[in-house]
Amino acid sequence: MRVKAMFLADMRFQARYGFYFLYAVLTVVYGMVLYALPEGWREKAAAILIFSDPASMGLFFMGAIVLLEKSQRTPWAFAASPVRPMEYVIGKVGSLSAVSLAVAAVLALTAGVGNLPMVLLGTAMAGGMFTLSGIVVAAKISSLNQFILWTVPVEVVGFVPAVLHLFGITPDWLRYYPVNVCMEMVSGAVPSPAGIFVAAAWTAVLLGLSGQAVLAMWGSGGGGKL
Amino acid sequence: MRAVRLSFLQMLACLGRDRMLAVACAAPVLAGGLFRFGIPFLEAELTEWLSVPAIIAPYYRLIDVFFGMLSPAMFCFASAMVSLEEADERTAAYLFVTPLGRRGYLAARLGVPGAAAFLVTLVLLPAFRLTAFSAAALLLLAAAGALQGVIVALLILTVSSNKLEGMAVAKLSMLPVFGAAVPFFIEEDVQYVLFWLPSYWMGRAAWGDGLLSMVPAFALSGVWIWVLPRMYLRKKMNGS
Repeated sequence: MRVKAMFLADMRFQARYGFYFLYAVLTVVYGMVLYALPEGWREKAAAILIFSDPASMGLFFMGAIVLLEKSQRTPWAFAASPVRPMEYVIGKVGSLSAVSLAVAAVLALTAGVGNLPMVLLGTAMAGGMFTLSGIVVAAKISSLNQFILWTVPVEVVGFVPAVLHLFGITPDWLRYYPVNVCMEMVSGAVPSPAGIFVAAAWTAVLLGLSGQAVLAMWGSGGGGKL
Repeated sequence: MRAVRLSFLQMLACLGRDRMLAVACAAPVLAGGLFRFGIPFLEAELTEWLSVPAIIAPYYRLIDVFFGMLSPAMFCFASAMVSLEEADERTAAYLFVTPLGRRGYLAARLGVPGAAAFLVTLVLLPAFRLTAFSAAALLLLAAAGALQGVIVALLILTVSSNKLEGMAVAKLSMLPVFGAAVPFFIEEDVQYVLFWLPSYWMGRAAWGDGLLSMVPAFALSGVWIWVLPRMYLRKKMNGS
């Protein structure tokens, strides 16, 4: 029940601050880009676009979301409420994933990517990983510039291997690398069961880390410990 | 002038604390090295692998244009992020009623970083360019790139009223930068739909129209930079 309330509150928050308008505009722009590309390029271009934007939006926006909440003192209100850190985290991941999935579906259909359910599953999994990484970083920082700097290593290890993997220029063992598994799914391919297991296990680790990070953030307010 | 200088130094101190200052200084050099040496290497590998005469080489001029916009975009983006923090913490409102004033605040947060980015680009572009430039072309490209960086930062500050909206607008406001690529990829007249973007004319100048195309780039930059600060200051006067 509380997870549902957090999910809906986050969706209202995102609507108020223009997320849905932003992604409506970006979807149109990306759709136009895909449409302008030669047909043979569209599937790979759609995979890159889906992976680098709707799937990773949580990483891009989480710093601003958490910092805005910090400036409005909401983390300390959460700390005194019955909401648990994991419910807060699931609300964030779920609400951002809803936007990611809608945008990914439109882009995949525009590009004519086959196996839409696999694309959406890959988007949800990649979105979860990026959003959880964003929460871990955002819980520890105090300014937007700090967040942008701290997310650079996450972006490097998250995007570079995945894009190289999409073009088949990574060693064979890297097909078990979690983001590469997601990229395979986003491009409509079916990864190995072992790959899916590794990606799911990594998501579970990130879920645990982000829960701890949120608990630590809620426990410290204005330089003091609650 | 003293107030602008002090306010700028205050922002530098803030960026220094976040290590953003070091990164904003180092990133254009690292990116320049990557552009100058990595792209020709990648081109050589790809053309050999695919047995085609050229893949990226026809776009080297465009890559130089993007590099000309990189330092200004980084400097002005970092400054815009500091301004968003100040807007959220309400410190900007206090600075407006000091001798710095609203215009001084904009000069310290965007004007000085834009000018610094212009000088940095003047040094880095000749060192890391992929194609030959005349001195006049170099000067004009660095100046237009600096103005583009200021426009992006002004868009972020004018349209958004907090960090979250700022990040959303940042995502959108970087799209006009890609107007430079349009003349290279769209040959039909439909490309003129983007005539209102200064970057489009920078792209046209690089594509083959010559330096005359920089005239509309500067004229349009002037219009953007005339309109956006007024909108920003009006928004601040209304208290939002």
